[in-house]
Amino acid sequence: MKNVKTILTLSALSLALGACSTGITKSRNLGNPNVSGNTLAQQVCSVCHGNIGNSVNGNSVNPTFPNLAGQQKDYLVAQMTAFHEKTRKDPAAQQMMWGIARNFTPKQIDELATFYSNQKPLPNPAHGDAALIAEGQKIFSEGLLDKGVPACMGCHGSNAEGNGVIPRLAGQHANYVYKQLNVFNRDAKTADGKESVPDSELERPTGGVMEMVASGLSDQQKRAMAAYVQSLR
Amino acid sequence: MKVSNLLGKAKGSALLLLGTASVVVSMDANAIPVFARQTGFKCVACHVGGMFPQLTSLGRMFKLTGYTMGNRPNLDGLEVQNDYPPVAIMVQGAKQYYNNTSHSVNGNAPSSSADLQVVSLFAGGKITDNFGAFMQWTGQKYANLQSGSQVGYNAASIDNTEFRYADRTVTPNSDLILGAYINNRAMMSDVWNNFGAWESGWINYFNAGNAQAPTTYLMGESSQHAAVGVGGYFFKNKTWYGELAVYKSPTHGPFSVLTAGATSVGNTGVTSLLEPSPYFRFAYNKEWGANSFEAGVHGMMSYVYGTPLFGTSNSQPGGPVSAYHDIGLDAQYQYVLDPHYFAAHARVTRELMNNTPGVANWQGLIAQNATDNLTETYMDATYVYEAKYGAQLSYASATGSSDTGLYAMGVNGAGSPTGSPNWTSWTPNIFWQPYQNLRIGYMYTYYTQMGGVNSGNGLVFNAAKFSPQNFNTSMLYVGFIY
Repeated sequence: MKNVKTILTLSALSLALGACSTGITKSRNLGNPNVSGNTLAQQVCSVCHGNIGNSVNGNSVNPTFPNLAGQQKDYLVAQMTAFHEKTRKDPAAQQMMWGIARNFTPKQIDELATFYSNQKPLPNPAHGDAALIAEGQKIFSEGLLDKGVPACMGCHGSNAEGNGVIPRLAGQHANYVYKQLNVFNRDAKTADGKESVPDSELERPTGGVMEMVASGLSDQQKRAMAAYVQSLR
Repeated sequence: MKVSNLLGKAKGSALLLLGTASVVVSMDANAIPVFARQTGFKCVACHVGGMFPQLTSLGRMFKLTGYTMGNRPNLDGLEVQNDYPPVAIMVQGAKQYYNNTSHSVNGNAPSSSADLQVVSLFAGGKITDNFGAFMQWTGQKYANLQSGSQVGYNAASIDNTEFRYADRTVTPNSDLILGAYINNRAMMSDVWNNFGAWESGWINYFNAGNAQAPTTYLMGESSQHAAVGVGGYFFKNKTWYGELAVYKSPTHGPFSVLTAGATSVGNTGVTSLLEPSPYFRFAYNKEWGANSFEAGVHGMMSYVYGTPLFGTSNSQPGGPVSAYHDIGLDAQYQYVLDPHYFAAHARVTRELMNNTPGVANWQGLIAQNATDNLTETYMDATYVYEAKYGAQLSYASATGSSDTGLYAMGVNGAGSPTGSPNWTSWTPNIFWQPYQNLRIGYMYTYYTQMGGVNSGNGLVFNAAKFSPQNFNTSMLYVGFIY
C-alpha cells in the first residue's frame, strides 16, 4: 500500500515536471538561440525596461534602466552587440547587461532592436527646476564654444530623436543620461591631451565624440543637459 | 617563546593573509553564487545594494518567475555557452561578545573566540524553462540557544529549500504570473523580505545566550525546515499579489526528504505540524521612479502536536496540543538608484494561542492558560552607499499575555517569575563590502525590555537576578560567498 502511494506521488511529480514545459514562446532561457526576440522582450527585458500595466512598451520605471521605446534601431543593435562582446564596460552594463546579452545571437539582437525601436515613447516629465532645464536647452542647441562642446542637436537631432547609431535622448531618464556623461568623462583624455585610460579599458570605446563633450561640461552642466533631454518628447 | 618561532608564526600569518587576498582579488564577475552564475548579473542587480537577502524589483521578479531567468542546459541536453556549475558556498565567521559571560545567563557561550562557524552549500536555479529550485544545506557548529530560534540546529541539515513553477503571460495590457511551489518553510516564498527567513538580519548570533525573546509561531524560526508546504500564487501587473499554501510535517514518504537532517518530528523543540495548516498572503505593490512600496496582510493557522509525540501519557493526547492563529500586516519601502540604496520594513503579527493546559507543547513547555496572545513587531531600515558601505538599524519586540508555563522570566513582588513575554531590542549593524561576495560587519543587540522588566536587576532567571541589559550581545562577523 505504501509503495502504491509512493508510485502515485512520484508519477504526480513527473507529470507536474512534464507540464512545466509550456514551450518556447514563454521561455526565459537566455542560452537558447531559438527563443525569439519578442519572447525575450516579454519574459526577460520587460522586468526592467517596462512599466506597470504595460510591461513590454520599453518605457522603464526605475531610472537605473534606460527607456528603450522608440530608440534608434542601429543604436540598439550596436549597444546589445557591445554588451554581448563585453566591449561596453560601464558599471551598469557589467552589473546587468553582460549577463543578459552573453549568449544573444545576431538574430535575437536584431529582433529585439526592431521590437523596441517600434514602441511608442511616453512623456517622461523632468523633475529638475526650470532654470536648470533652460540651461540644458541652451547647451543643447548652441553648445559651449569656449569649451569645445558642439551643439548636441547637431548629431542627436533638433528634438533629440537620434539618428542611426546616434541615440535618441528625448524622454530618456535624466539620471541615466547624467551617469553616462560621467562614463564618457572618465574615458576622456586629460587636459594635456594624454589618454587617461588605455583603449582596452575604455568604458564606452565608441564614444570618442562624447568624451570631448562630457569633459567640457561641468557637473552642473551635465545635470542640466540630462534634465533637458528628459523633458523632451 | 623563541624568536625563530615568532618569526615562523608571523611568516605563516602573512602567507595566509596573502593567500586570502589573492583569492579575493582574483574573483571576477562570474565568481559569484548560483543565480549570478545563471543570469550573469552582479549581486547588486537583484539585491538592494548587494545586501543579500534583500531583493530589488528585479530580484523579486526573478524569484516569482521560478528562478528560471538565465541560461542553463535544458533537460533535453541543449548545450549553452557560459555554463557554470549551479553550486555555491557560503562561510560565516565571527567573534561574539557578551555583556555578561556568566554561564547561568548565557549558557555555554562557545563563540567568544573568533571562529568559522557556519558553512552553507547552495544549489539550484533553472531546471526547465518554467521550473527552478533554491536549495541550501547548512552545517552549523554551535546550537543557537535563543528561545524559539533554531533549537537543536547544531549539525549539518537541509536549510531553505524550494521548488517553484511559474508561468508568465505578458501582453501590451497585462502582465500575469501564475506559480506554484513546494518548500520546507512557511514564508520562504516571501519576496519582500518581511518574514523570518528573509528578514534583513541575514546573519544570526551564533549563541544568543538565554535571552527570552519569544516570537510568534509563524515567524519564529522554530517552524523552519520541519514542515513541507505546497502553495500557489499570482502576481498581476506587478501590483497585486496573492498566495495560498498548506503546510504539514511529513513523517515519511518522498516529501520528508525536504526535512532531512533538520528535524526529527516528535522531539522536544522540533515542531510537529501534523495537521494541514493553511498559510495565506495578499499584497499590493507599487513602483514609481526609483521607489517601490509594498503593503500586505499575512496569516497562518498552525496545528501543532506536543512532545514527545510518542511517550509519556500526558504528552500524547492524539491530536494537536497547540493551535496558533497568526494574522499580521507588513510593508516595505525601497529606493534603489546607484549610489544610494535604501530599504525599510515594518511588520506586526498577532498570534492567538489555544493551548492544552497540563500537556507539554512542541517546546516541551506546559502552558498555564488555555489561551494566550502575543503581538510581535519588527522594523528595520538599511542604507547602503555604492553597494559597499552599509548601516542598518532594526527594532524587534513582542507583547502578550503572561504565562509562567511558557515564559520563565519576569518578576513580581515575591521574587518569582511573572511569565511576561514582553521584550524589546534594538540592533544597529554596520558593514563593509570590499567585494560583492565579502561582507565584514559589526552588530550589537541592546535589550530595553525582557520578561516585562525594563531595567535594574529585577529579572529572575534560574533563581538568580539579572537585568535585561545582561543579555546584550554583539558580534564582529565576516561572511564570504562564492
